[in-house]
Amino acid sequence: MSKDRQTLTVSRPLHNSELKMPAYNSIFNAEPSPTLIANFPLLPLRTKTRGPAYTLPLDTALPLSQSPDPESDSYDALDEVLSLFRANTFFRNFEIQGPADRLLIYGILFVSECLTKIKPSMSAREAQKEVQNIALDSNFAIPGDAGFPLNQMFEAPGSRQEAEALRQYLAQVRQELALRLLARIYDDGQAEKPSKWWLSFTKRKFMGKSL
Amino acid sequence: MAQNTPAVVMDNGTGYSKLGFAGNDSPSFVFPTAIATKAQGAAGGGTGSGRPAVANKPSYLTGGAGPTGHLSMKRGTEDLDFFIGDEALAAGNGPGYGVHYPIRHGQIENWDHMERFWSNSIFKYLRVEPEDHYFLLTEPPLNPPENRENTAEIMFESFNCAGLYIAVQAVLALAASWTSSKVSDRSLTGTVIDSGDGVTHVIPVAEGYVIGSSIKSIPIAGRDITYFVQSLLRDRGEPDSSLKTAGEIKEEYCYVCPDMVKEFSRYDNDRSRFLKHTITQPGGRQVTVDVGYERFLAPEIFFNPEIYSSDFLTPLPTVVDGVIQSSPIDVRRGLYKNIVLSGGSTLYKDFGRRLQRDIKHLVDARIRASEVRSGGAARSGGLEVQVISHKRQRHGPWFGGSLLGQTPEFRSYCHTKAEYEEIGPSIVRRFALLGGPGGS
Repeated sequence: MSKDRQTLTVSRPLHNSELKMPAYNSIFNAEPSPTLIANFPLLPLRTKTRGPAYTLPLDTALPLSQSPDPESDSYDALDEVLSLFRANTFFRNFEIQGPADRLLIYGILFVSECLTKIKPSMSAREAQKEVQNIALDSNFAIPGDAGFPLNQMFEAPGSRQEAEALRQYLAQVRQELALRLLARIYDDGQAEKPSKWWLSFTKRKFMGKSL
Repeated sequence: MAQNTPAVVMDNGTGYSKLGFAGNDSPSFVFPTAIATKAQGAAGGGTGSGRPAVANKPSYLTGGAGPTGHLSMKRGTEDLDFFIGDEALAAGNGPGYGVHYPIRHGQIENWDHMERFWSNSIFKYLRVEPEDHYFLLTEPPLNPPENRENTAEIMFESFNCAGLYIAVQAVLALAASWTSSKVSDRSLTGTVIDSGDGVTHVIPVAEGYVIGSSIKSIPIAGRDITYFVQSLLRDRGEPDSSLKTAGEIKEEYCYVCPDMVKEFSRYDNDRSRFLKHTITQPGGRQVTVDVGYERFLAPEIFFNPEIYSSDFLTPLPTVVDGVIQSSPIDVRRGLYKNIVLSGGSTLYKDFGRRLQRDIKHLVDARIRASEVRSGGAARSGGLEVQVISHKRQRHGPWFGGSLLGQTPEFRSYCHTKAEYEEIGPSIVRRFALLGGPGGS
């Protein structure tokens, strides 16, 4: 113990790497070795739509507008997208810390896109039609396509098969997110008009981007 | 006579002036630091700033050649035709008067307006005879001594006041925190976080002296919070999203949350967190505005400026930590231990608690890193971080002045009229430290 205690506690200025970006990152970054296509993770989803995703157990008692406890096995990355969406849309800077952050970014941008389709006067049915239109449309841009806005951060799939698998996985993500988002905005279909608390986020753009 | 009267305490800030008597709990008057003067010329047009060429100097400094004749001609009755404070704003709404703000960025910019502002403050509001009272005025940190001399000239020569003390606002804010039960040793060492309407200052003070080189200011304060509330109301299409409504919502409902994401989900699970605010519009019509996420998002801009601003991104806790780290090493412990809040924009519930937690995180991370670097050879005893919230936060500097102005030794720290006449204005360049070591 030769060193002086006092001088130790007040040492040099904060190192840059200790300053973290304030936007929220995905807890699924910690997932050990997820399946990857290029650098996009195919994380398990809790969904009834068909596709390449490994499906998590579904609790039928839980309304669609609710998320299971984050500790439980059926909590998936899309629950996280919906819970981080409102906070993260306020941020323009985001640091990707793991593959799951790419799913988070994609999910948040897709939720934003859905919101732009819903007008304050729409009933649940009308909104569902509009949102399902874009969710079911299989002609969307995937990483590597010229129309994909985030190609700087997302790698293109290596082959045609990989591209096809990624497209199918993203289709699952889009459909499931659309369902859950609609359930939240219309209070599981009980509300006649969309929640203005959700629609108020329509104009905000996470990272200044949109799909 | 002046020996028995209470000292007059005046804290003139950029936004508001606080006036009252030492020993009182709260200022007798709080009103905008604004003055409405007759617009120049009968047509009411012109520059809108009274007497532009000479207005920047005290009237008596312009003696001699040039504009004096012109000025004395104008010094008829127009000179007495002005209003200050809320009356000034009201007069400014009507025809014929222009509103001026003599203080900019904490410093007096227009001495002629300020002199008249003070004269109304003393004679019309406080209604005191200045020769019977000692005066305690405040100044911002890094105020040039020339400004202090100008102030003394006006106070002693125009108003003939009995004695004068000019204190630094941050030091008074530290003194105001002595009322908190968390403060045990009444030291004048600490970090003052002063957030008003226009700007937020972080000011380290060591034993009563401001460490000027380490002061940092942040362009985020009360006005920005109001604007942010307004933008959230507009995003939602609320029926009324005026600045006034936004300001009311800010003051009545906002608080600081521990974590944004968790707070959003608390609102999902508990609908009672959404509130309603009723306003009566000018026509007498009642309008109800929903109040929701802005309750915690608005003050969050101190902790995550990115959600509001695109050019200033450093969170307040990081700024405070940086200020203390740039101060001399032997006072840092004292600065971390006594972080004092002051000003209206620090009044949100749990503001101090969140600030303390975030600064503590930064400090602990640094200590851990340096322990690792030492290879386990050195262990730190830890560093105490304490943010002091107290009941007198809103008018902190004024209350600190009231506290120090009522002490028996206050008068001996002041410069008196007689001393001023003997030595001249330069006497106010130095004041003995009030409430410092040796005081009670």
